[in-house]
Amino acid sequence: MNLRGVFIEDTFAEAFTMRVARIIITARNERWAREAALKLTGFATSVIGCKCEAGIERLLGSGDTPDGRPGVSILFMTMGKDDMGKRLIERIGQTVLTCPTTACYDGLPGVPDRVGVGSALRFFGDGFQASKVIAGERFWRIPVMEGEFLVQEKFGMQKGVGGGNFLILARGADAALAAAEAAADVMSSRTGVILPFPGGVVRSGSKVGSRRIKSMIASTNDAFCPTLRAVTASALPDGVNSVLEIVINGTDADAIAGAMRVGIDAACQEGVVSITAGNYGGKLGPHHFHLRKIMAAEAPA
Amino acid sequence: MSDGLRARLRAPLPARADLGDVLSTPWATLGAAELARRPVAVEGHGALTVGDLFDLGGEPQGRIRFEGDLAEADRLGARLSEGEVIVEGNLGREAGLGMTGGELIVRGSAGPQAGARMRRGLVVIAGSAGSHAGAGMIAGTVIVFGGIGAAAGLWSKRGSLVALGSVTVPPTYRYACTYQPVHLRVTFTHLQSRHGLPVEDRHLMGFYRRYSGDLADLGKGEILAWTPE
Repeated sequence: MNLRGVFIEDTFAEAFTMRVARIIITARNERWAREAALKLTGFATSVIGCKCEAGIERLLGSGDTPDGRPGVSILFMTMGKDDMGKRLIERIGQTVLTCPTTACYDGLPGVPDRVGVGSALRFFGDGFQASKVIAGERFWRIPVMEGEFLVQEKFGMQKGVGGGNFLILARGADAALAAAEAAADVMSSRTGVILPFPGGVVRSGSKVGSRRIKSMIASTNDAFCPTLRAVTASALPDGVNSVLEIVINGTDADAIAGAMRVGIDAACQEGVVSITAGNYGGKLGPHHFHLRKIMAAEAPA
Repeated sequence: MSDGLRARLRAPLPARADLGDVLSTPWATLGAAELARRPVAVEGHGALTVGDLFDLGGEPQGRIRFEGDLAEADRLGARLSEGEVIVEGNLGREAGLGMTGGELIVRGSAGPQAGARMRRGLVVIAGSAGSHAGAGMIAGTVIVFGGIGAAAGLWSKRGSLVALGSVTVPPTYRYACTYQPVHLRVTFTHLQSRHGLPVEDRHLMGFYRRYSGDLADLGKGEILAWTPE
C-alpha cells in the first residue's frame, strides 16, 4: 500500500488492555485548569518507568463541566486495578489539590467500577473537611488556604487500551519531526485518545528486555536506530536516517484505530519513506491494529 | 426520563393537613394506587388518605410532583430518604423535617422550619422561607432563593443553609470569610439543568459570606449568605 508516495507496511501495532479513568479538572480560568492538568499528566509517559500513563484528552468549555467553569479532560491509565487508586490519590493530591482555584471530578460517571479518591484525600482536611451529596454523588470540600478544594469521592474506572502505535521512517530528522508533529496535531484533540509522550512523539522506541542486562524490562529498539544500521539486524530500509514513533492510548480500540487513521494520513508527507508499527509477534497484546486495514477503512467522523 | 408521579390537589385543603407520613418510608417505586393509600391527617376531618385529597397519576420513577396550593400542608417530605419531590406552589410548615436523603424542590415559598433537623439531602425553596429554616440540622443542604425568617439555622450541628435573599444570621454563628464556594456551583448547575430553577449568574459566580455555626452546638454547620461583595 502506498499513500502519497509513502509505503504503508503490511504489519500491525500490538496493544494491551489497561485500566482507564477520566479526570475532569476545572478552574477559575483555562490557565489554571491547564496548569493542574500539565502537572497531573507530567512524568506519565510509560508504565515502564512512571507506573501510569496520562495525557490531556481535550479542553472543556464552561458548558461541559460539572461546575460551569472551564476545564480539561484527562485520560489516566494504569496496568492494574489496584494501581489506579494509588496513582490517582498521589497525583491528584500533589498536583490538583495544590493548584489554585481547581476542582476535580470523575469523567466516567456511569461506570460501575469505582475507586476512592476524594475519600482518601479528605484526610488532608484534618477533621475540618465536609462532604456534600449532589445529584447522588458525594463530593469532599477540603479547606485550603485559598478557599476550598472540591473533589469527587469516587472515580470510575474501566478497561482501556494502551500501546497503539506507528513509526514514521523518514529520510532525515527534519522530515520525521515535521511528519510526527502533523500526526500529533490531528490526533491530540480526538475524544477517547491520548498521546502520553512529549508532544505526542517518542524518539526512543523500545524492545522488550535487554541483550546485556537481564533485569532490564526494556531497552533501545536497535533494529530501528539508524546509527546502528551497520552493526545490528536493522529493520530500516535504505535511505532512512531518522525514525519517530507515535504512541496512542485510548478508552477503546475503535478510538485508537480512528486516531491512527488520521495520524498516519497526516504523517504521509514529503521526506517520509514508510510507516510501520511495533508488535511482539501478536502473542502478548490482545489488540492488533493492522495498518493497511485501518488506512483502507472509511474515514472516521 | 419520565416525569414520575403527579399528585394534583382535588380541591383547596379544608384545614391544615399533616402530610408527614406520605413520603416518610420508601416510596420511589410505588405506583399511584399504593401511594394513594398513605394516611394524611386533616384538622377536624380525622384520618384521610392521599387519594382523598389528590388525584394521582403517572409512573413511579423516583420522582413526584405536587400541584395545587399546599400552603396549609405541613411536614411534606418529613423523613424523606430518596427520590425527587417537586412542589409547584407554596408549602406549609416543617417541609422536609428530618430528611435523610433525596431532594425536595419547592417552587413557591415554605412556612417555618423548612429543612429543620434534616440529616442529609437537599431542600430548595425558590420563594421565601419562614422562621427556623434549617434549624437543628445535622447535615444536608437547604437553599432559599428568597428571604429567610428569624432563627435561621439555629442549633444546627452540620449542614449548609444557603441564603440567596435576606437572612439574619443568629448571634451564635461567627463570620469566617467571603468567598466563592465551588460546591454551590455544582449544586446550582444541577438545579438549573435537572429542575429548571431560576439560577442567575450572580448565584453561580457570586460571592458568599460564610458563617460557621451553630457555635452553641457542634458548630460544623454553615450559613452561606450571598453578597454583592
